[in-house]
Amino acid sequence: MTTRTFRHRPLSAVVVLGVLIGSVVAATPTTAAAQDTPRRGGVLLAAIGADAPGLDPHQEQTFATLQPTAPLYSTLLQIEPGNYPNVIGDVASEWSISPDALTYTFKIRQGIRFHDGSPLTSADVKASYDKILFPPEGVRSIRKHHYSAIASVEAPDPGTAVFKLKFPSASLLTNLASPWNVIFPKKYLDKDPNYFKKNTPVGSGPFKFKNYVRGSTFEGERNPDYFVKDRPYLNGYKFFISTETSVRAAAIRSGRAYVEFRDLPLSEVEAIRKQLGDKVVVQQTPFVIQFGISMNNTVKPFNDIRVRKALTLGIDRYTAGRVLHPLTGLRDVGAYTRPGTEWAIPQTELEKFPGFWRDAEKSRAEARKLLAEAGYPNGLKVTLKNRNIKLPYQDLAVYVIQEWKKIGVEAEHRPLETASWYADGRDQGNFELMVFPAGAFVDDPDQLLAPYITGSPQNWARFSNPAMDDLYARQARTLDPAERRKLVIEMQKIALDNVYTAPVLWWSRNVVHWAKVKNWVAPPSHFTNQKLQDVWLSED
Amino acid sequence: MATNVEVAHATATASLAPRLTLVEEVLKFARTKPLGAGGGLIILGMMVVAALAGTLAPYDAYQADYALQFARPSAEHWFGTDEFGRDLMSRIMYGARIALFVGFTASFIGCTIGGLLGVTSAYVGGRLDLLLERLMDILLAFPQLILALAIASILGPAVQNVVIAIAIPIIPRAARVVRATALSVKENVYVEAVSALGAPQARIVLRHIVPNVVAPYIILLTAQLGGAILAEAALSYLGLGAAEPTPSWGLMLSGSALSYAEKAPWIPIFPGIAISLGVFGFNLFGDSLRDALDPKLRGR
Amino acid sequence: MRTYILKRLLLMVPTLLGAATLVFLIMRVIPGDVALLIFGGDQAGHIDPKQLAAMRQRLGLDDPLLVQYATWLWGVLRLDFGTSLWTGQPVIEELLIRLPLSLQLALLATMVSVIIAIPLGMLAAVRQDTWVDYVVRVISIGGLAIPGFWVGILTILTLVIFFGWGPPLEFTPPWVDPWANLSMMIWPVLTVGYRFSAVTTRMTRSTVLEVLREDYIRTAWAKGLRERAVVIRHALKNAMLPVITLIGTEFAFLIGGLVVTETVFTLNGIGRFVVDAVAHRDYPVVQALVFLIATGFVVINLLVDLTYAWFDPRIRYR
Repeated sequence: MTTRTFRHRPLSAVVVLGVLIGSVVAATPTTAAAQDTPRRGGVLLAAIGADAPGLDPHQEQTFATLQPTAPLYSTLLQIEPGNYPNVIGDVASEWSISPDALTYTFKIRQGIRFHDGSPLTSADVKASYDKILFPPEGVRSIRKHHYSAIASVEAPDPGTAVFKLKFPSASLLTNLASPWNVIFPKKYLDKDPNYFKKNTPVGSGPFKFKNYVRGSTFEGERNPDYFVKDRPYLNGYKFFISTETSVRAAAIRSGRAYVEFRDLPLSEVEAIRKQLGDKVVVQQTPFVIQFGISMNNTVKPFNDIRVRKALTLGIDRYTAGRVLHPLTGLRDVGAYTRPGTEWAIPQTELEKFPGFWRDAEKSRAEARKLLAEAGYPNGLKVTLKNRNIKLPYQDLAVYVIQEWKKIGVEAEHRPLETASWYADGRDQGNFELMVFPAGAFVDDPDQLLAPYITGSPQNWARFSNPAMDDLYARQARTLDPAERRKLVIEMQKIALDNVYTAPVLWWSRNVVHWAKVKNWVAPPSHFTNQKLQDVWLSED
Repeated sequence: MATNVEVAHATATASLAPRLTLVEEVLKFARTKPLGAGGGLIILGMMVVAALAGTLAPYDAYQADYALQFARPSAEHWFGTDEFGRDLMSRIMYGARIALFVGFTASFIGCTIGGLLGVTSAYVGGRLDLLLERLMDILLAFPQLILALAIASILGPAVQNVVIAIAIPIIPRAARVVRATALSVKENVYVEAVSALGAPQARIVLRHIVPNVVAPYIILLTAQLGGAILAEAALSYLGLGAAEPTPSWGLMLSGSALSYAEKAPWIPIFPGIAISLGVFGFNLFGDSLRDALDPKLRGR
Repeated sequence: MRTYILKRLLLMVPTLLGAATLVFLIMRVIPGDVALLIFGGDQAGHIDPKQLAAMRQRLGLDDPLLVQYATWLWGVLRLDFGTSLWTGQPVIEELLIRLPLSLQLALLATMVSVIIAIPLGMLAAVRQDTWVDYVVRVISIGGLAIPGFWVGILTILTLVIFFGWGPPLEFTPPWVDPWANLSMMIWPVLTVGYRFSAVTTRMTRSTVLEVLREDYIRTAWAKGLRERAVVIRHALKNAMLPVITLIGTEFAFLIGGLVVTETVFTLNGIGRFVVDAVAHRDYPVVQALVFLIATGFVVINLLVDLTYAWFDPRIRYR
């Protein structure tokens, strides 16, 4: 049997450190960490922009749940902290893959204890994954469809977990490193699969649950029995919940919080740096989320490719990146996979597709021509629905509406609350055009391309292309990276040719933290590297 | 809200004031109530700006100029530009339109429905009066903004929905005040005399009661107008107001405007001043109007 | 007095019943399927029709309207408002976490507004139509005109930019650490207190003006300073009664009405809870909160009226 792990790629290292612009220069925390000896103690204070809807990560999809609870749990595998997107073990010490790639056997570390003192065995891994893969009635499992390759999970002995597959899956290890798939103690799940929705979290992570005041704070304290020796360094962590961006920024400036793990607008970042200078570090990284416009392919006139093409041609993405970056962090022009990664269409090729031409004036002329051909020589009135969140949703809409005016398209902007936005966009298809983000915790084609296959719940544009469906299924099963890359790129080209949706810009994020917060590297996703076991504070 | 106890009290007797011509009234008001006159001037200015925004505004309020993001106030852009390079002064001028529209329509709808209910309630009396009074009590128990918030969230964010959300909480407040005035007029001897002479009911209401409740109605309208403009700002801040890129004052202050407070202080400051000044004008005017129309507090 | 109290208590019943009915109706006019909207917010993937049916059943949406109404009223009577769809906790429990903060904020803000308003109002009345009067009125009306969230954030920013100091981010009850409590509460209390002093100032001014017009005061005024002082002091007592009512109403309003202030200052109070619940489409919570806030308002108003009646016997016999 051969052991294969995902190799760390030099390209991603560049990406992780981020492209730093202007005066915002980041000291690379990894280098700093190498020079200093870790100090023990202290409580990490963090600000967070929302309160958790529930505490069971299997059932939620927001950072508001993940960031406070991630330090309490272990997962089977994990994205290596500070080395995105390399996959390493967490409770699994090693693993092997059968030659037909249909059986994955994981060795579970011995001696791991849950916070209630009971040992963690493969039975707990199986129980947790069964809950994710085959949720009993009344139990939600948000990301179930990422694991369609898995036929069953078995626990032949306490130290071994076996995953049996229906077909080979290139992304399996990455998907098993999902920070959402935390290992719960089986005995609680046996009692009630929804136990952790309401009750005190019991995990095996570096920190134990301490206190949670809904709407206000979430606290964890050091787990002295953590299975990784000498970890964690911190005595504890505490999240302060504030929905007001300026208040979170002010909290960092006044030292009431040391870090905001998600993102702060560049204007706040600049202000913080101006006041605190070297006392803070800014890590600017890309963000595995693309913001674009979903066009409802089932509704007139968006079932006409000429209209869709005109709308995408009408958006000058290169100016958008320049204008919107300082406001929102939206920055990089790309298609359905993140530019700069191996899965992306090379820039030179991308520029041949409508909407990605360098010459904005030529694009607009073509757009007006297409609109006239489609029967709208005097322009078109459309409704653009959106989520009522300012950054980056509304700013993107303001830009796009302004751009469309230039080709004679008059767009009415209708922001909706999150719930209605999902209801109209995802569930009912009650829209013409909709601002639509597509993202994942890692640059994985299975996840990033899922919105573009027939019948996918993320396929808000409601189109169906059998060739794309076929390519999607094939790439998921293709283990050879070069071969897979070809399929992934081909699938995206079909989507771009048909203009089913209009991808606009890829997001980037600014994570600001006090310099005394050491050994934490911001990955291109706010879902990973949140366990905090290696983080330490150089002073209180 | 509580202020209406006072309004009711002050206006109940307003109808007894001696009559002067309009010009005399205005002059007297300006002389005795300089603050109110100041408020009136602010309102007048706002109306002129709103009416002539098309001519007065130096730029298109929607036109973004990406070469001029965050431009500081200058000879070309007196109030500077916002994050999209849109001229702030033009946006504020067009914003006056929206503020006045939301303020006027919301308080007009609220006060008119409330006023009609008040007059009906007072005139018909009996069980209907009791029922309407209870109903108004119930509505009054909900804090204005919470009621507006609940309504706006049900209707969704759009200017016309904001108007409705703000208008509904005004209804009970207006009904209270107008009913009190109408009752005192009704009890007045002359109405009784007219009605004894056998005048038709509709005529009594139209000729005698309605003219007398006009003064408190106008006071109310002014008083609620400022509040309505402020409520629009609060709803926008909570994400339930007008939609981008509408140049609404409240919207211009919400979202990330306050994040730019340090980098480009003009972005949050000018719309904030516009709201404060507008509301201040209406409140000042309304306050003095109330004083002027209340004979008990008339000058010595 | 006893008949008066009884009468007032009885009058409260239809008001509360009406409030309960109104809240029920508002929650039923929401366009579209409430259950679908709820799922829309927090579930990725296609909605499982089974789960949708279960949610409908849980919300009682399948029952006839009258049955739903009766269930709601029965719940209200037992103070059982169900559980939050967002957190799964009983609504009452969620409310009790946030109540102390809102109560303290309302209480302190009312106190501040009184401390500002009564002297200013009297001053304005005594110096009616002079520049003193004008300045007082401009200051107090100004408080009503400035958007609360704007002042709130500018205050926080000023403190941070110029003093590098920001208010604490979590609520500490005053009996645990009065200093931490105060340093968090002081800014919202001051902004709200100033804002609400406007109404009280105006009321104080006009009631004092009225009293000053009474004949006996005019006579005293004519007689000279000493006399004046005595009488004014006496007159003020009379003038204060309506002001006290106003303050009581204000306090009742503040408990649930500080939506914007609590959001800006990151105070985990009832007002912000309403905003969050609205944003999450957590209808049982919205329904319960709006009703409970109205109830609180009615009850406090009753207490204020009873106090008033106790002070001024004439009221009882009206």
